[in-house]
Amino acid sequence: MDAKVENLLSEVLQMPASGITDDLTMKDVDAWDSLKHMELIVALEQSFEVQLSFDEIVAMQSVSAIKRVLRERGVTG
Amino acid sequence: MELRGKKAIVTGGVRGLGRAMVEKLLENGTAVTVFDLNAAGLDELRKEHVNCVQCDVSDYEQVLKATSQYHEQFGAADILINNAGILYSEPLIKLTSEGVAKHDAGMWNKVMAADLNSVFYMTVCVVEKMMTTRTRGVIVNISSVSASGNAGQSAYSAAKAGVNALTAVWAKELGPMGIRVIAVAPGFTDTDSTKDAVSEAALRETVKKVPLRRLGKPAEIADGVVSVIQNDFFNGKVFELDGGLIV
Repeated sequence: MDAKVENLLSEVLQMPASGITDDLTMKDVDAWDSLKHMELIVALEQSFEVQLSFDEIVAMQSVSAIKRVLRERGVTG
Repeated sequence: MELRGKKAIVTGGVRGLGRAMVEKLLENGTAVTVFDLNAAGLDELRKEHVNCVQCDVSDYEQVLKATSQYHEQFGAADILINNAGILYSEPLIKLTSEGVAKHDAGMWNKVMAADLNSVFYMTVCVVEKMMTTRTRGVIVNISSVSASGNAGQSAYSAAKAGVNALTAVWAKELGPMGIRVIAVAPGFTDTDSTKDAVSEAALRETVKKVPLRRLGKPAEIADGVVSVIQNDFFNGKVFELDGGLIV
């Protein structure tokens, strides 16, 4: 699941996958604004077949938080 | 979107086109709440089991309070129809018996507040709740064929062009969240507000330009609104219902 998330982030934020580290946050990436965040959420929802709550969407402001929320939702593969 | 069992807010739903939309939604099993200024009209509507809120939608403080109360009572709305507004005609420069006069700046501001600001105020408050509850809702903005520029309607045309622009912007912003935003642009329709704002002579001339040679009926516009709500792939576009006036 980790690699899939990183690839999605790389694709949506248009930055190299090598730069997608767990401690990367919205604040660190200029392109990761609220509109891009919603694009990312939709990509995650489609890719992992989950519907995230708004609280989860708000919480997912770093790579580690995205992975944590997805794990909590039972996403493994 | 299936209308039965859904919750809709219609602004300016007491009379004219708004009233026709309210009736059409009720026929389809939608729970309707009307936001309107007209207290007497709201009293009449309450008798038809319509939830009514007295609110000046051009006043942001009132909209904040009224939408907050609505959300406490009903949760997120599924449908918002931004219909309230003023149809106003005045040339940029008028010839009067005393000479020339400028378009009234106060009326410019009043029309922009009623026809454009209100759409922003209602939508920002209603969509916030839709988003936080992940409600896949629909926003319908009532525009006008005047958005393309109608001589003698500076404020009204500008406001409606703004409404069309907001429709496109919001469709792009909110579409990924499953919220659709649509505009419906009626041509000249047979309502009191049309008769109040457009002289009989001007209306006769306009009707001659409509291929169908008549004004639209409020029920026909309401049918169009319902159709675009029901069609889940209609998004970000202006649905023109003008009898072929602009082709």
